[in-house]
Amino acid sequence: MKTLRHIAVTGVFTSLAGLALGAQNTAAPPLTTDATPPAPVAAPPVVLPPERNWRFGLAAGYGSRTNPLIQSDDIPVIVDVDLAWFGKRWFFDNGDVGFSVIDNDHFTTNLIARVNSDRAFFSRTNTKYVTFMQLSGNVQAPAFDITGSPLVTPEPLKPPKRDYAIEAGIETLLDGDWGAATLRAFHDVSGTHDGYEISVAYDYRITRGRFSFSPSLGIAWKDTAMSTYYWGVHPGESSNVLQSYEARGGISWEAGVRGSYYLSEHFRVALSANYERLQHSVANSPIVEDPYVLGYFAGVAWSF
Amino acid sequence: MVILTFRRAFAAAALVASVSLFPAYAQDPPMTLTVRPLLCVLDKAATNCMMTFDIRWKSLTAGEFCLNDTLQVGPRICWGNPANPAESGNTSEQRQVSEEFMYWIGAPSGTERLAEVKISVLRVGSTDRRRERRTRHVWDVL
Repeated sequence: MKTLRHIAVTGVFTSLAGLALGAQNTAAPPLTTDATPPAPVAAPPVVLPPERNWRFGLAAGYGSRTNPLIQSDDIPVIVDVDLAWFGKRWFFDNGDVGFSVIDNDHFTTNLIARVNSDRAFFSRTNTKYVTFMQLSGNVQAPAFDITGSPLVTPEPLKPPKRDYAIEAGIETLLDGDWGAATLRAFHDVSGTHDGYEISVAYDYRITRGRFSFSPSLGIAWKDTAMSTYYWGVHPGESSNVLQSYEARGGISWEAGVRGSYYLSEHFRVALSANYERLQHSVANSPIVEDPYVLGYFAGVAWSF
Repeated sequence: MVILTFRRAFAAAALVASVSLFPAYAQDPPMTLTVRPLLCVLDKAATNCMMTFDIRWKSLTAGEFCLNDTLQVGPRICWGNPANPAESGNTSEQRQVSEEFMYWIGAPSGTERLAEVKISVLRVGSTDRRRERRTRHVWDVL
């Protein structure tokens, strides 16, 4: 509605300006010269074309996101697909389904359903076998467990399996000359972990010529139920190589930057880097090796 | 008598292919127009770019030619006259750009575009805040 009103107003100005310019230009004779540059041209009022409902983009290059889990591989980012559809109220944005409930000059509030992103790390894990030996009088012998039985067979060490969770929540998007902010609150509605997450993010875009540069900051609070489901070791999963662990709720933070150099209307060179510091209790989990997630990407992006 | 060796047959075939598949290499276009820069990148709050265009043209045949653009009625600048026809020309122009348009070269009173170049406007960002949202998915780099 805001866009339509803007287009209508600018359209009226364009029509008036067009009449004025047309009258002026038809009266002016052609200039014949080899040296005199043409007179400076003032910009006509901006008329924003209506945006397409669909947004499709494809980036190809090289990037990676580290995996904080033990016995895991980093997640390669070779191709990134951006697929979104925006209706008047409903929208789909790369897996998130949303419905706008408030949209005014100051903020937009949406109801969102999404898939939890923590689960992605558990898809790239592998198993390491651990053998327990003890040294007694320069002789190596099998160790014993707490019941006194000898540990003769190697024990597998692997992060436990975790399920995807469908989360529903609310988000508010704000923007202005100061940048853009996002406030989000989500709850698991699939019964996977029954937890909550609240997050705040801020970013500021700077555009100079063909360069666009966006630093961002964000913090997220995840409750104990959600933290311990993904990052704890549940009692039934503990073993001689993996102790039971309950992760508590806490706050993580992240900082990132995205840059683009626009080669044409549809092509750009894209660079991005992101650092996320896991919350203290998650970082101390026996299934977590690194207390951070580092992501980066460099490539060429095409946008429709 | 022509002896058609394999080497000669290959050379002849390559020549025919280069002319038929890549006619641009075999024959220059009658008029070329080069404009730099070609893209105006606008942030969400910006209304226009101040750009200085370097405009150059070259014609195989000398004559009278005028530079036009699709946002204005009538020529912006002309070169040559019946006594002194022009084969090439250049100029620079500083202007505010807020929408896509085309520079084109044509005869002084004609509407036929002998060569044209599009100046694009790319708006980075949207007035629809939903299109600006960032997801926290693992592969989200765009």
